[in-house]
Amino acid sequence: MNWSSFKYLVKQGWHNMVANRLMTVASLGVLTACLVITGIAGILSISVSNFVQSLGDKDMVEVFIADEATEEQINQWGQQLPALSNVASCEFISKAQAVEDMKEEMGEYADVLKDYEGEGNESNPLPASFRIYVKDIALLSQTVNEIQQIGGDMFYRINSPTELGDILVQLRRVVNVAGWGLVAVLGIVSVVIISNTIRLTVFARRKEINIMKFVGATNAFIRMPFFVEGMTVGALAGLISTVLVGGAYFAALKALAQPGAMWLDEFTQCLYPFHVVILPLAGVFVLFGMFIGSAGCAFSIRKHLKV
Amino acid sequence: MIRFEHVTKVYESTGGGQDIMALHDVNLHIRKGEFVFVLGHSGAGKSTFLKLILREEVATEGRVLVNKNDLSTIRQRDIPYLRRGLGVVFQDFRLIPTMTAYENVAFAMRVTNIPERQIKRRVPYVLNLVGLAGKAHSLPQELSGGEQQRIALARALVHSPPIIIADEPTGNIDPELSVEIMELLQAINSVGTTIVVVTHERDLAQRFHKRMIVIDHGEVIDDGLARVRGARV
Repeated sequence: MNWSSFKYLVKQGWHNMVANRLMTVASLGVLTACLVITGIAGILSISVSNFVQSLGDKDMVEVFIADEATEEQINQWGQQLPALSNVASCEFISKAQAVEDMKEEMGEYADVLKDYEGEGNESNPLPASFRIYVKDIALLSQTVNEIQQIGGDMFYRINSPTELGDILVQLRRVVNVAGWGLVAVLGIVSVVIISNTIRLTVFARRKEINIMKFVGATNAFIRMPFFVEGMTVGALAGLISTVLVGGAYFAALKALAQPGAMWLDEFTQCLYPFHVVILPLAGVFVLFGMFIGSAGCAFSIRKHLKV
Repeated sequence: MIRFEHVTKVYESTGGGQDIMALHDVNLHIRKGEFVFVLGHSGAGKSTFLKLILREEVATEGRVLVNKNDLSTIRQRDIPYLRRGLGVVFQDFRLIPTMTAYENVAFAMRVTNIPERQIKRRVPYVLNLVGLAGKAHSLPQELSGGEQQRIALARALVHSPPIIIADEPTGNIDPELSVEIMELLQAINSVGTTIVVVTHERDLAQRFHKRMIVIDHGEVIDDGLARVRGARV
């Protein structure tokens, strides 16, 4: 295809958009609505997922060690525990350190612990422990089991938020499935609607297509203006959706930046800043819009090319 | 140019009825530079004859050769190139209503990737040839039937195809205009273009003293080569 034919076909595609402006507006509206909903679902899904992940990062497992444990055993566990695949970090808290930590927590009442201070203080009732942070909260229960196996009875108690972990994991799974499921469904709906809208345009111009075939037009030549039309509508819908979703995101960030509840602050911290989001958002919207526009076009024109 | 060798075309029934034999064992040869009328009543098989040449249909048996292309073995992607060697004029003109006369003619050149410079030179020339230079910017609905048919003829002519096929070119126009169109076709033929006119108007065909191939019930019942002075057999 030479340059003048290419220019002609691109112009034809744009000309057709204007000539069939009602159809164009309908396609644009439908695709924009789908992209906006898809975008919101996607952003929510990513944000909630990040939030859940960040909650998971805060999860700490406390392993309390029986007083009978020897120093040699503790040293050995100190090497074994960080070697577990899901352990991000592991810190040993001695009995004396546990008293210091508790004193800090008690503030002005710290004096009541005065008698238990110092290394090797026999009267210190607080146990030594390991503080362990996990990498993936989804594997928490399994990791706790592994920890228990290492220490046996000497790890007489393991505090871990396995229930909360399970809830968070489930929440993240639900949000992911629902969010991306919605994105997939809306993507398919968009393709079907765009394909039907273009099919109407193609049907209205079947005579023209038939004439094209008889004067020797190749299928690529016939398809091209429809592709240009579909891709332009897709790109426009992408840009409009970027403005709408980007604007809504910006407003949401601004509103969330106001002082609020603690969990809301934590949620806000998990959101990507506007300048990080806007360009990928525009890119994804425009490319996704163009893909849907051209896919819809490909589905609808095939039948009319068989002459 | 065009050769039919033992061509049979059967349309298979889709609704459980009987198959339809549209053409049966047709043999003919149309040579370069000939002017041929293909005559027959409605349902005789003329349309099928045309569809086979345009490769809209494929022969059930036998071979159809057009411009040295065997249409039973031609690849799908080569069909547009086959059609570029044929100028087709339809009874219902098949002009694009949203395009001006100029655009309709230029369109046939654009689909074959001809540069714009050449289009701008060639289209006014062809419109002038069919006597419609002054109507270049008119839409088809602003033109009479005869004028629309001349635009269709200009479109068929514009990329100088070696063969022009006219399907009932006078079917939708007045008798006087019919003669005018036929004279135009004769003028085109005089510069070496092969012309095949498919029509049911025997009287009109007879006025031009050209080769007449008569089809009836799917068979060639008469091929008037002998009546044409100087024709090669």
